[in-house]
Amino acid sequence: MSSQNWYPQAGRNAHYARRQMLRGGAALGALGALSACTGAGKVASAGPAPRRPYLTPMRVTPDQLIDMKCCIRPVRAAGPNLGTQMIGDTLVVHNYGHGGSGWSLSWGSAEVAVGKALSVLPSEIAVVGCGIIGLTTAVVAQRAGLKVTIYTRDVIQRTRSFRAHGSFTPDSRVALSAPAGAGFGDLWEQMTRLSWKGFRSMLGLPGDPVVFQDAFALSDAPPVKKHHDADPAIKGAWEPGGLPLQESEWAHYMDRIKDLVPDPVMLEAGENPFPVAYTRRSSEMHFNFPSYAHHLLTEFYQRGGLMVMRDFNDPSQYGQLKEKVVINATGYAARDLWRDKTVFPVRGQTGWLVPQHDASYSLRYKNASLMAKNDGIVVMNNPIDLGEMFGVGDSMELPDPAPILEVMKIVEPIMAGMKGIA
Amino acid sequence: MGGLKWVLAGALTLAAVPVNAGTANGVYTEAQAAEGAAVFAERCAMCHGKQAEGTWEVPALKGKFMANWGRESVAALSDYLGRAMPQFAPGTLEPKDNGRLVAYLLKINGHPAGAKPLPEDHAALAAIRIDPLAATTVK
Ligand SMILES: Cc1cc2nc3c(=O)[nH]c(=O)nc-3n(C[C@H](O)[C@H](O)[C@H](O)COP(=O)(O)OP(=O)(O)OC[C@H]3O[C@@H](n4cnc5c(N)ncnc54)[C@H](O)[C@@H]3O)c2cc1C
Repeated sequence: MSSQNWYPQAGRNAHYARRQMLRGGAALGALGALSACTGAGKVASAGPAPRRPYLTPMRVTPDQLIDMKCCIRPVRAAGPNLGTQMIGDTLVVHNYGHGGSGWSLSWGSAEVAVGKALSVLPSEIAVVGCGIIGLTTAVVAQRAGLKVTIYTRDVIQRTRSFRAHGSFTPDSRVALSAPAGAGFGDLWEQMTRLSWKGFRSMLGLPGDPVVFQDAFALSDAPPVKKHHDADPAIKGAWEPGGLPLQESEWAHYMDRIKDLVPDPVMLEAGENPFPVAYTRRSSEMHFNFPSYAHHLLTEFYQRGGLMVMRDFNDPSQYGQLKEKVVINATGYAARDLWRDKTVFPVRGQTGWLVPQHDASYSLRYKNASLMAKNDGIVVMNNPIDLGEMFGVGDSMELPDPAPILEVMKIVEPIMAGMKGIA
Repeated sequence: MGGLKWVLAGALTLAAVPVNAGTANGVYTEAQAAEGAAVFAERCAMCHGKQAEGTWEVPALKGKFMANWGRESVAALSDYLGRAMPQFAPGTLEPKDNGRLVAYLLKINGHPAGAKPLPEDHAALAAIRIDPLAATTVK
């Protein structure tokens, strides 16, 4: 990806400066300085004085909006279903209900499901569903030596998975803490760490299926850490209605993987390219759906995988497949097909602007979120005050451009006021 | 599943082995597995994870583990542990800890406990097969 990110550039400058020092004969002093900056952890602080980077402004006028997508997050109150059940003489291993974290948990969740399937030593299995969960599961099963047939209504490009945002958000609406219970945290961490390694193994592949880039959080007032305290005025919880009533009911686990995720840094006034008082930079990892799907599908077919287009109307049909072990990866559709009423919808929608490869960064300001990807700049309108409650219980899956256009308007003056190198 | 086929093949080729000599029949005791859990926590968990879940680099001792060891004899697994594990100090497991670990691994992979402990005698261990799980018992 042609990157205009300034941070690596600054890193290179710092490295160059150190080399110059070494060459200048001040070896001992330079080594001392090197170890001092290693100890401090933040190499950037030992480099040249911070300079304002040049970032290409994103084009956010309404005419740039080339696509709208809407999708339902398949949230399951207790977290993803990885349980098993028998349909006749067929072992069904479930792998659905990943909420707003399906992409992020895909490798780890597949590993758990495939592990269960392997315990009866099958030589072939079926996977139902070809979203990110089903397709990843199929490839993981093949890597474990199994012959795999995918049965599905749609191939990944036409699934809900392709209508997501697609960044690494492994605890986004993944479960409600009460029904998930204390034990789910360990499983979550296991799946997340494994997935992280899976994504790492895809960085730098042709087409950039997985990418790291700078993400900027802009605000007019000093940023405050969000708390999820329960509101005592709200009585009751997700039961019996089946839906959470407030933010404090959602489970959060990101603290468990602090060691993986880089720290955010506040930009000093001199290095802030945006016309706002406060800008915080962090690193985000995201997935480019078209090339990601291409890589997985290529591996699936090269390993001899078979794809059968089929729509199931009843769980009993799983028992009629010739494969006697079936992994069920039907996402939100499992709510109806498997009558799992603990799955509830959380609607979300994205607008897509013309791809702009010279503007590879992400930005959040007020309710606006923009992230530059290979196939377009993805725009969301996420009301800050509603947080994870936004879209809960809403299964209307038609897009509505108005809220997207609204946040594009908020960001327009930010883009117009961006500054170049100081 | 392939269980019946195996039993038939086993009966033909290994006539000396009783046909029920598989891990599905309860070949270790709960007490043995509990002792194995303690050994595991001390000698194995630092690499394979507290729940034997493994990492991207270190094999899990559940899940794919069964595909690796299924249809082998318990002796093969036990010998391997004794020979190659822990990888940073191979050959340092006490023989009786070895047996306890095997019991623990069978347990966490869904094989039932029984009334009798795993035998110490190598030939007897070699006669016990690691069975595939019955589909109805997979959790
Ligand atoms: C707006 C939005 C943003 C999101 N952002 C992120 C994000 O940034 N990061 C992240 O990790 N996650 C994100 N998610 C969540 C993520 O998209 C989901 O968790 C994930 O797509 C679930 O994948 P899946 O494969 O289980 O389901 P799906 O993609 O729905 O796939 C289900 C598959 O099953 C098939 N199927 C269904 N029913 C049947 C049937 N009856 N017969 C045959 N086949 C059937 C379908 O055709 C499809 O192939 C977001 C979701 C939304 C809505």
